[in-house]
Amino acid sequence: MLDPVLIVNAIVSGLLLGCLYAIASMGLAVSFGMLDVVNIAHPAMMVLASFVIAGLCSQSGLDPLLTALLVAPAFGFLGVGLYRVYHHFFEQSGDEAMQGLAFFFGLMILIEVSLVLIYGADQRWVETSYGGHTLSLGPVDLPLRMLLPAMMSLACIGALFVWLRRSFTGRAVAAVAQDRDALRFLAINPIRIKAVAFGISVALAAIAAGCLIVVQPVDAHSGHVFIGRILAIVILAGLGSLPGTLVAALLFGVIENLAATLWGPAWSPAVAFGLLLAVLTVRPQGIFGGAHT
Amino acid sequence: MAYDALVVRDLDAGYGAVRVLHGVSLRVPEGQIVALLGTNGNGKSTLMKAILGLVKPTRGTVRARLDGREVDLTGRATEEIVDLGVVLVPEGRRLFRDLTVEENLVLGAWRACARREISGNLRLCFETFPRLGERRRQRVGSMSGGEQQMVAIGRALMSMPRILLVDEPSVGLAPIMVKQTIETIGALKAKLGLTVLMAEQNFTQAIRIADRGSVLVHGSIAFEGETAESLGDNHLVRQFYLGT
Ligand SMILES: Nc1ncnc2c1ncn2[C@@H]1O[C@H](COP(=O)(O)OP(=O)(O)O)[C@@H](O)[C@H]1O
Ligand SMILES: [Mg+2]
Repeated sequence: MLDPVLIVNAIVSGLLLGCLYAIASMGLAVSFGMLDVVNIAHPAMMVLASFVIAGLCSQSGLDPLLTALLVAPAFGFLGVGLYRVYHHFFEQSGDEAMQGLAFFFGLMILIEVSLVLIYGADQRWVETSYGGHTLSLGPVDLPLRMLLPAMMSLACIGALFVWLRRSFTGRAVAAVAQDRDALRFLAINPIRIKAVAFGISVALAAIAAGCLIVVQPVDAHSGHVFIGRILAIVILAGLGSLPGTLVAALLFGVIENLAATLWGPAWSPAVAFGLLLAVLTVRPQGIFGGAHT
Repeated sequence: MAYDALVVRDLDAGYGAVRVLHGVSLRVPEGQIVALLGTNGNGKSTLMKAILGLVKPTRGTVRARLDGREVDLTGRATEEIVDLGVVLVPEGRRLFRDLTVEENLVLGAWRACARREISGNLRLCFETFPRLGERRRQRVGSMSGGEQQMVAIGRALMSMPRILLVDEPSVGLAPIMVKQTIETIGALKAKLGLTVLMAEQNFTQAIRIADRGSVLVHGSIAFEGETAESLGDNHLVRQFYLGT
């Protein structure tokens, strides 16, 4: 007989895990979904940022989540520069499909190899004061090392949503996803808008990195665990739908955790990706996609 | 003193090896509406795009007079031309379908001078098109063609144009909406002192508000009418439009 407490706990910790997936996917939902830039180096950038954050935290004793907020703007500027390079050499000449993919694949390898060369193959982690604590709501356990990153993730995603709807540049980002060249009729340079948006996607990778390093230790190849999942989440959501990405990430986390609880951890990716394939058979445009033309 | 706000001179333009415009010259006097007439495929949209820098001319010039200053638009980037106050309501409207009416309108106010006047200009849009006020939170993709045309014109107004280019505002609209849309453009010109170049296939409607008109045939200006009456009397126009 299944223990209902076990199931509830699996769902709750699935939601917390889903929040981590959400912040990790949101950046890719912006770059791949909205800007058509297939940045498969996104998880590698997240791992790179985790290493940077771990290094800064061990020196300064600052909290990793706070440190992530501090390094995010620097990663944002890095992202702007990277997009300029990508645009100049690939997008502008219309070579983005294969060559662009190769560019980001190469970047991913470059980041991973550099991390191994500089830091070795060992895992990196950060001790936090709350790491061992757990909040208990009745029978439901909320480990702080999952809860605090989840809250940070939701807060940043909320801020992103508000920015996209309320600020001039944010609305232009939403518009560039729909009709890039129409922005020019409004005196807006779409390439500049895409550069800003890509910068934000990389800044989001840095935020996700702070969350990640609180949740688990990271090594140079930790991105591999994420690449499949976050691609699945972004596609499941329907490319470019950010609220959809949030829902899909939570769903993915819950299903993985339930499968692990019911049948064992080996089953969780199989069930989660099986679900992805099932959804795409019924709705090729994803759960929330289709509004785009 | 009346002067020409927009002057196109000897313009050649096209797509790749295909030349569409052949030595087009055209002038739009300040504060007037010039109708750019011609049936499908004669190069009206190409001329609009060439003025806005979206199609690079291979010969000729486009000059504008804006706030007492003579500006050469030839070879400038589209964003820069729009930022000078030459604004296009494009063919096919090119709205952001997943954004709301208000979000589309506010995006029009990107120019620094337009941002300062957003609330006043939004009010102007909603006065001009009360329907848009009622539906400001509606997604544009779910609206009728006529309503979308209102959003497209409204979005251009939000940019605070000095010279307004309108590419076939009547296309795809019900006859009653065609009449209304054309009248609105005429009323806006009078109210805001706009200079307007309007491409249109619908001769009879366009001529109701136009101060003068030019007929584009196979990429060349075939006839220029200094008055609306002279256009109606011209044999070319009769041949092309009125079937007499
Ligand atoms: N993007 C394009 N590429 C190649 N040819 C084009 C393009 N757009 C229009 N044309 C051609 O240019 C000519 C004029 O088209 P257009 O300017 O759209 O005419 P109009 O607006 O008067 O209907 C047509 O023969 C059309 O086929
Ligand atoms: Mg046309």
